[in-house]
Amino acid sequence: QDVTLRLAHWLPPQHAVPQTGMQEWMDSITEASGGTITFEVFPAQQLGAAPDHYDMTRDGIADIGYVNPGYTAGRFPIYELTGVPFLATDGPNAAKAIHEWYAGDFAAKEMGDVHFCLVNPHEPGRFHGKSEIKVPADVKGLNVRPAHSTMARFVASLGGASVQVPAPEAREALARGTADAVTFPYEAMKIFNVAEETKFHNDMPLYLSSQVLLFNNDSYGGLSAEQKAVIDEHCTPEWSKKFSEGWADYDKGVREEILNDPEHTVYMPSDEEVALWREAAMPTLEAWKEDVSAAGGDPEAILEGLRAALDANGVLYK
Amino acid sequence: MSERDLIAAGGFVILFLLMLIRVPIGIAMGIVGVGGFGMVTGLKPALNLLATSPLRTVTDFNLTLIPFFVLMGVLATRSGMSRELFRAANATLGSFRGGLGIATVGACAGFAAICGSSVATAATMTDIAYPEMKRAGYGDDVATGVIAAGGTLGILIPPSVVLAVYGYITEQDIGSLFIAGIVPGLLAVLMYMLTVRLRYGPYLPAGAPFELREALRALRDVWAVALLFIAVILSIYLGIATATEAAAVGAVLTAVIGLARGRLGAASLLDCLVGALRTSVAIYTILIGAILFGYFLAVTQVPQNMTRMLIELGLGRYGTLVLIMVLFVVLGCFLDAMAMIILMVPIVFPVITQLGFDPIWFGIIIVMTVELGLITPPIGMNVFVINSIARHVGLGTIFRGVLPFVLVDLLRLAILILVPGLVLFLPNSM
Amino acid sequence: MTGQRHTAADRVILWVERTAAVMLGLVTLLIFVSAVGRYLFAAPLPDSFDISRLTLAIAVIWGFASLGYRGSHIKVDILAQAVSPALRRWLDLVAWAILLGFTGLLVWKMGARVLSQLSGGEVTMDLRLPHWPFLAAILLGLIAALFTTALRLWRIWRFGEGLEGHEVPPEEDGPDMGHPKVEKNE
Ligand code: NA
Ligand code: NA
Repeated sequence: QDVTLRLAHWLPPQHAVPQTGMQEWMDSITEASGGTITFEVFPAQQLGAAPDHYDMTRDGIADIGYVNPGYTAGRFPIYELTGVPFLATDGPNAAKAIHEWYAGDFAAKEMGDVHFCLVNPHEPGRFHGKSEIKVPADVKGLNVRPAHSTMARFVASLGGASVQVPAPEAREALARGTADAVTFPYEAMKIFNVAEETKFHNDMPLYLSSQVLLFNNDSYGGLSAEQKAVIDEHCTPEWSKKFSEGWADYDKGVREEILNDPEHTVYMPSDEEVALWREAAMPTLEAWKEDVSAAGGDPEAILEGLRAALDANGVLYK
Repeated sequence: MSERDLIAAGGFVILFLLMLIRVPIGIAMGIVGVGGFGMVTGLKPALNLLATSPLRTVTDFNLTLIPFFVLMGVLATRSGMSRELFRAANATLGSFRGGLGIATVGACAGFAAICGSSVATAATMTDIAYPEMKRAGYGDDVATGVIAAGGTLGILIPPSVVLAVYGYITEQDIGSLFIAGIVPGLLAVLMYMLTVRLRYGPYLPAGAPFELREALRALRDVWAVALLFIAVILSIYLGIATATEAAAVGAVLTAVIGLARGRLGAASLLDCLVGALRTSVAIYTILIGAILFGYFLAVTQVPQNMTRMLIELGLGRYGTLVLIMVLFVVLGCFLDAMAMIILMVPIVFPVITQLGFDPIWFGIIIVMTVELGLITPPIGMNVFVINSIARHVGLGTIFRGVLPFVLVDLLRLAILILVPGLVLFLPNSM
Repeated sequence: MTGQRHTAADRVILWVERTAAVMLGLVTLLIFVSAVGRYLFAAPLPDSFDISRLTLAIAVIWGFASLGYRGSHIKVDILAQAVSPALRRWLDLVAWAILLGFTGLLVWKMGARVLSQLSGGEVTMDLRLPHWPFLAAILLGLIAALFTTALRLWRIWRFGEGLEGHEVPPEEDGPDMGHPKVEKNE
């Protein structure tokens, strides 16, 4: 039977993700299903607020939801590891690694009331500031718009304060002095015009913000066997990588533009400075470990699992 | 018509029926939103909208500035700042023929600069200015007409709760919207004053002669209003504070000034908080419903279809704009101004952007259109409020008095549509 | 207008309203301090974002309970004012029954969601305080709204009291300038 699936996300329709990976993924499913699976996309929070996309998917408001688990601090303690600094050095291969690491038991434990499909991180995000941020001490006293709850914690451990505004309002917050710096991938410099305000960029790859694509259980369960097979073929670690490539390419393009723009300063910390940053990130990892322990998980084993998967895909931060 | 079009059309019919039998507007929108969404997707997911969406609305940080601005307006009203404003305006402008009327417009503008509500501005000015004009021998029609028109400045001159809600719905910068309201607001003040002078002046008594010392003394007394306006609007314009921060600072400063001058006590402060809470909750209820209604619009693609339909009419940019404005004026006959913005703007906004109109500029134009609804028959909220305070003045008299101002408003709308730069140059310089 | 008949209920609602209003005042103060602190100490208060929005939500929902009692929601009065008092009473009954039904649905769906958060769920961003105590207070306000709306409905039915702004006469009051209390907002 023919089905049309409602896919809800919160990005603007012209963003790289809906334009590249998401579109490619939908087209491929429609083709592989012989046209029996089509999609109706609801961008820009049309069906609900960004942090609600998990619940909306579980509750059937959307058949498929594009979810950032980092928007709801404390709800997915295992998955929050993906946002801890200094784990992965690129986006698409990390997508595959995170998928391999999370999709089995962990997804069943934390996201058991939905059908897990794939993982979509951006290229590693960095600090971008109105003033120089070369070493961890430079963050002290700054107001930073962090990417997610884990980065908020990192900023706090450095003596900064976090300012929470939605991504599209980050530029405004910088312009008004509410924020002095942001953590973002390079692409946000362009899509949200953040580069108008932040002329200093610390080029050290720092952290990921990793979205997941989830199916409503009934929506998935209601498909025919053939259709399910098509979806299963599109919910693989390989598709996680493929889904994430367009975003990464766009990000690299924006980075080149900023590198070549004389208005901007792009700073790459020395090895000694990177060591300072990595040491400064340890409390954030420790805090994550405590959260997972409190939630009944084994943090060392979980961490080793992700590190091994990243290493196997050649993107472990060493 | 597709099945979804039928559901959409049916939804609107039921919405208006529910509103007509006095179901709270927000609740009517919520019911149709959930029910209509359910017709498309099934009832279970639709009911689940109620689990997440209303909670998200009431916990949305971006909406907190609404109660803050409402509170600031209530506190300003309660601490009697309108009285000083009227005195200062009268001391400087009152010596002209029709000077009391001109001063009333000036006092309305001053009060609008710290209060975000038109109805509150009209109400407080009825208290202060109406008895003075009566004493000076003004006719009821002039006296109440000036106040009804002057009151509309409340939602145009920043701060403005309606503009804040417009900014929230359309994702436009609220600070820019506020700054954009300044020049059209001043233009309105000028045109209203000229109307009093030119239309009514010949029949009105001359004011008291100008006295420099009294003028200076009266002007000195409006320091609180000036301070509040500067703290709120200048800090937004200069980029020192976000609109939310400015709203909270404005509310706290108004309370502190009121307490320090002995105009507010603990009991009246509590009273103001209760009043602000009630007004804010009424707005929140509409917003909760509107956001649920928005999901129904999204799944039935009403905004897209509306855009296509309006553009296929081939009225051109300005023809379409005027059609939309007429629609707002007609709806203004029975819908509350805030409800109208919340219900209709999401539907017509895509057309406006597709026609290449500036969203900030449109915000000002549509608020001015809504203002017009506040003073035109058969239902004009400002007129009703004045009628409820000045009991013996008939509605017909007030409407008659306000008519010249309605015509002047139309002229002002035409000017700002033809010269959008008047609206936009200030926000563009931020 | 309510007369001596229901002073006990009126007092309870007034008390509820005042508590909610004080919460609104405290949130305003919190944002004020946080904004000022940003300049004086170059740091906003931790969690002022989450705490203010969650506290304000409690105030709004408890205020919702009060509006259900007072009948002072924003609504369209044009038909109600044109018809006979008897018919108006029926309109009011239907309208408030619909409000009651909608409030019931909210209690049901939001209640389920809040209960699902009781066993560890979302926390605030900075201090990692659990959300659920805030959510529980919101849910209680909704349940209160169920009662207050039902009470108004019963009074329309039993005493023919309408939906025209039920004000409690102020008991004590400070200096009062510029008096008109405007319920309607535009
Ligand atoms: Na105003
Ligand atoms: Na009207």
